[in-house]
Amino acid sequence: MSSNHRLESPRVSRRNFLRNSALAGAFGLFTVPGTARLNAENTVLPFPNGERPLVKYPQKRPLIRLTARPPQLETPFSVFNEGVITPNDAFFVRYHLSEIPTEIDGDAFRVEIKGKVNAPLTLSVAGLKNQFEPVEIVAVNQCSGNSRGFFTPRVGGGQLGNGAMGNAKWKGVRLKDLLNKAGVATGAKQVLFNGLDKPVGEKTPDFVKALDVDQALDGEVMIAYEMNGEPLPMLNGFPIRLVVPGHFGTYWVKHLNEITVVDESFSGFWMNPAYRIPDNEGACVEPGTVPAKTKPIARFNVRSFITSLADGDRVSSGRETVVKGIAFDGGHGIREVLFSEDGGRNWREAELGKDLGKFSFREWTIPFAPKQAGVRELKVRATNRIGQTQPLEALWNPAGYMRNVIETVKINVA
Amino acid sequence: MKRICLAILFAGAFVSFAEPLKIELPPETSSFKFGPGSEIANGQCLTCHSVEYVSTQPVMPRAFWAASVKKMQEKYGAPVPADQVDALADYLTQNYGTNGTTATNMQSKLVANDGPSVAMKYGCLSCHNVATKIVGPAYKDIADKYRTDATAKAKVEEQIQKGGSGKWGPVLMPPFPQITAAETKLLTDWILGQK
Repeated sequence: MSSNHRLESPRVSRRNFLRNSALAGAFGLFTVPGTARLNAENTVLPFPNGERPLVKYPQKRPLIRLTARPPQLETPFSVFNEGVITPNDAFFVRYHLSEIPTEIDGDAFRVEIKGKVNAPLTLSVAGLKNQFEPVEIVAVNQCSGNSRGFFTPRVGGGQLGNGAMGNAKWKGVRLKDLLNKAGVATGAKQVLFNGLDKPVGEKTPDFVKALDVDQALDGEVMIAYEMNGEPLPMLNGFPIRLVVPGHFGTYWVKHLNEITVVDESFSGFWMNPAYRIPDNEGACVEPGTVPAKTKPIARFNVRSFITSLADGDRVSSGRETVVKGIAFDGGHGIREVLFSEDGGRNWREAELGKDLGKFSFREWTIPFAPKQAGVRELKVRATNRIGQTQPLEALWNPAGYMRNVIETVKINVA
Repeated sequence: MKRICLAILFAGAFVSFAEPLKIELPPETSSFKFGPGSEIANGQCLTCHSVEYVSTQPVMPRAFWAASVKKMQEKYGAPVPADQVDALADYLTQNYGTNGTTATNMQSKLVANDGPSVAMKYGCLSCHNVATKIVGPAYKDIADKYRTDATAKAKVEEQIQKGGSGKWGPVLMPPFPQITAAETKLLTDWILGQK
């Protein structure tokens, strides 16, 4: 391994923390390593055992912490009402392995393109910027297990609310251009992606993901060095990460330093058995059962959310307001968003906001003037340009992936 | 030649990073509940991940925790000694799963013949307490609210079966259709009987 970065060793850091605490106690002080606020506020996700602390991480505002080691942070849902672009300091964080980089020299960092290529390459970030055409794309990144906590019956895994998603403007280079420069050898089947994060245990499989060569060369997959006009935050993959527009975050490998072309179908743990969905149209099975056949998770299904109102909010009757939200899909683009204020009996078409591209959140708005007091169920349903939409009843799979039921917000009209 | 052209084309794009990026992670703040087997959890689980990987899971039966330990061994290579596997699954079930179930698989035999045992069996108490609001309202507050309501039983039974309506705030209760009709009655009577 090159020496231009340092991996956090959890055991040592814990020992340091204990030692620091002890010393601080002796001198009547309390030094906190990093920027942690120990008296963090809590938040409650709306499912049992959903209490979570709000914790401030470096380069981040306080986010909903699912796990500390490795860090998994969820975006508070109110952020999605601030705009269709998710700010870098609010963007969700998801690692799989505990040895994550905490210090990287961006100038010394290198990414290798190797394996079944005619001319292996080693590139710096400056090399990426100077030798390849820059491209920009606005694209949603969403965790495969976003919203897993809402699965009924419940399933094991990261118990996330709806905040493991975000929409950013990514700037970087096309993977296709790098692979073409290296020259993909005949017979190549897949391209593997590995980043600096490492397992603690010797036998724990490293986090490596694979894309078929055709997809790697489709011109949409990119290597991003900027996110919303800034270098990537450390916890989102500094200095470069893979961006696979329209596809679940599991493929968006962070701190990307190894790209390996292979002539076989890769079967590492993180491709099989991890991150697989039932091999059928709805990626679903009868609740509580096991799928007969699975395939790797891939594109997002259609989702839409109300962002301007939350469960339990109060709205005055007889006054017109505007309800606002977001919709997105796996890359065809949103064609229509329907809104219901009576639990799904009647639907009205919402107005779509500015089109930032087929991989972006699409804002929608609709006037809302409830007349009668009482509890009101608001629902939203999006359809994409090839007619795919959202189910009325939640679909189920044992891993808790790809939830996309029509969302409901219950409000009180007073 | 092509390389030179490209270099000219994108000249000026190069921006050096001023200095290495370094971050310091906030400390872990949670620890495993103390009890029989917690020394195994502390010794085995915490090598690779923090406590929330366990503590944020839904209330699950022993089979779930036993499968999780097996997965950690077989897929993630966790070196859990063979003679500690059952004790670890027991600890996880006892402290983070369906209470009161052990290696002898009490879960399937658990007879819920009164309100408290129904609440225990289905994990109601992870969100509700008899006297204090946790995630959901205290059972005592529910009883108070419906004290003079003739349709109280029907309302509470429906609430249990079909889930929340937002009566108590923004957190909606999920539906529990798996609770049988008889068990729902026992649970409802117990809740409404709180004083």
